[in-house]
Amino acid sequence: MRILTEAAATVLAAGLVSVAAAAPSLDAARLMQTLATVRSASASFVETRYSALLKSPLLSRGTLSYRRPDRLEKMVVSPHKERIAIDGNRLAIDSPAAGRREIDVGAGSSGVAALIEAVRATRAGDLEKLESDFDVVVSGTLDDWQMRLRPRAADVDQYVVAISVWGSGARLRRVEVWEASGDRTVMEIDEATD
Amino acid sequence: MTRGARLLVAAWLLSLGACGVWLYRSLTLTTDLSAFLPPSATPAQRILLGQLRDGAASRLVLIGLEGAPEDVLARASGELARRLRASGQFAYVSNGAAGANRKEQAVLFEHRYLLSPTVGPERFSVQGLEAALAETYRLLGTSAGLLVRATLPEDPTGEMAQVLRRLAPDGGPDTRHGVWFSREGRRALLVAQSRAPAFDADAQRRVVQAIEEAYAATRPVAGRLLLSGPGVFAANIRATVDTDVWRLSLLGAALVLAILWAAYRSAPILAVSFIPVATGLVVGVTAVALGFDKLQGITLGFGVTLLGEAVDYPTYLFMQARPGESLGDALARIAPTLRLAVLTTVLGALAMALSSFAGLAQLGVFTVAGVAAAGLATRWIVPAMLPVRPGSPPAERGLAWLDRFAGAARRVRWPATALLLGALALIAWRHDRLWDDDLSSLTPVSASAKQLDRDLRAELGAPSLRYLLVARGASREAALQASESMAAWLAGAVRRGWLSGFDVPSTYLPSQRTQEARRAALPERDVLAARLDSALRNSPFRAGAFAPFLDDVARARSAPLLDMRDLDGTALAFKVDSLLVRDEDGWNALAMLRVVNAPAELAKEASARGDEFIDLKAESNALVVTYKNQALRYIALGLACIGALLAFALGSLRRAARVVAPTLAAVAIDVALLLLVGKRLSLFNLVALLLVVGVGLNYALFFARRHADDEEKRRAQRSVVVCAGTTLSAFGCLALSRIPVLHEIGMTVALGAVLSLLCAVAFADRPE
Repeated sequence: MRILTEAAATVLAAGLVSVAAAAPSLDAARLMQTLATVRSASASFVETRYSALLKSPLLSRGTLSYRRPDRLEKMVVSPHKERIAIDGNRLAIDSPAAGRREIDVGAGSSGVAALIEAVRATRAGDLEKLESDFDVVVSGTLDDWQMRLRPRAADVDQYVVAISVWGSGARLRRVEVWEASGDRTVMEIDEATD
Repeated sequence: MTRGARLLVAAWLLSLGACGVWLYRSLTLTTDLSAFLPPSATPAQRILLGQLRDGAASRLVLIGLEGAPEDVLARASGELARRLRASGQFAYVSNGAAGANRKEQAVLFEHRYLLSPTVGPERFSVQGLEAALAETYRLLGTSAGLLVRATLPEDPTGEMAQVLRRLAPDGGPDTRHGVWFSREGRRALLVAQSRAPAFDADAQRRVVQAIEEAYAATRPVAGRLLLSGPGVFAANIRATVDTDVWRLSLLGAALVLAILWAAYRSAPILAVSFIPVATGLVVGVTAVALGFDKLQGITLGFGVTLLGEAVDYPTYLFMQARPGESLGDALARIAPTLRLAVLTTVLGALAMALSSFAGLAQLGVFTVAGVAAAGLATRWIVPAMLPVRPGSPPAERGLAWLDRFAGAARRVRWPATALLLGALALIAWRHDRLWDDDLSSLTPVSASAKQLDRDLRAELGAPSLRYLLVARGASREAALQASESMAAWLAGAVRRGWLSGFDVPSTYLPSQRTQEARRAALPERDVLAARLDSALRNSPFRAGAFAPFLDDVARARSAPLLDMRDLDGTALAFKVDSLLVRDEDGWNALAMLRVVNAPAELAKEASARGDEFIDLKAESNALVVTYKNQALRYIALGLACIGALLAFALGSLRRAARVVAPTLAAVAIDVALLLLVGKRLSLFNLVALLLVVGVGLNYALFFARRHADDEEKRRAQRSVVVCAGTTLSAFGCLALSRIPVLHEIGMTVALGAVLSLLCAVAFADRPE
């Protein structure tokens, strides 16, 4: 009986290996090459925060735009207007309500900056940058890939457990963030690239 | 050596040795500037000096790393911060990394209900809670959502954000790769606070070494370490002074020795020539140590300059003694003039010694005792050690050119007069722009170092050091309450645009009264739970989501108030230490001001509110002016005494005038030349001019005295030329120094020596 099971397992494993060999497996470098072909991109997004503290998920909508090499802008239209722009090394956050400061940039921005940087570096196909901040694991095929990012820095993993990005070819489809608080945010992206 | 001479030399050696031993065991040298405070110092000036002396801000080290890629610098910054913390030399180190601030964040979070300005009875009413929850919900939908969410169950009203908002200075450094960087990302920035006080230059040198070693150990690929701050200045000055002073003193001594060797060709003469000045130094220091608690570093520095005159005394003796002549005989001839040379200086300094101003009094006592001892040593010890002047007449023939120099220069009387008139005209024209009263030009810090300090300070968002507001209180609590009322009106001043921001101690440590009021505003658990339930009814948050909040408030209600001990080891303790300062009259809460646009309005408002507005630059300059005016008054008094002494000793006003006039003429031309090269006179020039007066009077005395024959006259004139030559060499070398103080003194005295000789020749020499 036991011998039989082992034999079955071996056959099964061999079958799986041959399936994987048939659909060429994707590595991070190849995915990044593909992403790096994009010169600019724009998208609308819907972001949903799922939280144990909330009676119903919190939705926000807006647009994303990217221009090579390192400019990314997130415009939130509803429920509150906000503009988050990262250009080179400058991260700017403007909102009509923020005639006042809401967070201590020196002590806390690494959490927010890590999120925006994850999206930008992915969009830019900058593997070196991604790997300096995260452990990167890529799976799937080029047409339907998933990339899992785990923060390396202690001051980031205090807030963020993991980030997952889904995409097809050079297009991003979805970004999910698992927060240390137990909340999860899901950003669905409808992207046009150039 | 006769028996008497042996006894004399033994007694001299014994007393010098005793002085040395006593000084070694009991001398305390201090660089504490408060001894230089005039007795009428204002409280503002005392605060100023207290801050300079050992204020927490004075122990700040500003650190920059540059010249390598950003990520390399960021890693080096983290590694450097870790090593500095481990070194134990620093009370506080920060490079902006969030991880390093965790302890601080934890303290703030734990005490948020005592620190947050929004805590009050309305905040925890049903409406208050509803409003706070609505705002928190809004923030949850923004980029700050991640951070807000992290502490949402414990802090749904966002008190921590309120606390942080007041702490975060606008215009602080950027954060890149998780650590502080300058705006353009060129430099990684750190701040550290040394445990050692800023004025302890040796300790600060160890601090600088510790930083340099820690940096070297981080092994950056490339890049430079930049350091600034009061302690770093102190350490660098000490290092430069050490190398510069040694190098230049050796060079000067070599030149002086060469001149004396050319004049005497005798090693024994060279050896005993240094006896008077060494004796004067030991006796001068002993006199000050006996008369005052502590010897000022500045007294020593200025005093050694003034003792420069004593180097000349043995020159007068040896140059005027014939080879083979007994020094006793030579002394009998020149003693009256030499005595006057010593007495004029002693009398000039005596006036200063009587000043009520400790700094001036010390300088006076040092000079009186030092010069008198040097004179006595020349009169008694030198001839006891070397009874007969060695040397041979043929060796002296080589000195004939000195006579031509002294004689030919008499033709310069009219040109010298013209020069003097020109100088007086220039001084009269520039009389309102004569003095440099800026304290900062007295610091031996180079312009590039000052620029680096300004840059790093601006990049780190460190407050300007020019303006300060002070709220006083009899106790610490009273000062903290005063700080709170000051913060209230300053917030209004910020809205009016008078300044861009401020830092007060009560932000970090509110008064007990305020803390108690906030604690009292926290409702009992059951009451709060009921109100929270009603507030949650129409909110997007689930009921029961905020149980940790109820726990925290309940704990805060019974917890003790926030105390200085809670802040230990954090940047907050450092802030409170620098902003809450004790003096003998009580406590001062200081407000550091950022970007002051309207100092006059601030000063007016402050006095209306009972707070004190201090312009540190104006205060420190006023201090310099007071010192200078006092010094000038005593110098004038000293000059009057010298005039009277000369008139009495020389038996006529006319003869006294012939000695004093050339000296004053030399001083006037010296001053005019300094002005002509674009300088203004500082305290250092003033002290240097005192030395010029001292040597100038001696030159004039020896030129103006009656001589028995031409030979004697030639010898006297030669002695003056040699003296001027040695003074010019020694101080000319100082003028080469990179340290402004030494350069100024060197230049003034070197010029003064040449001019004194010129004027002595032109105006003091008796026509045949």
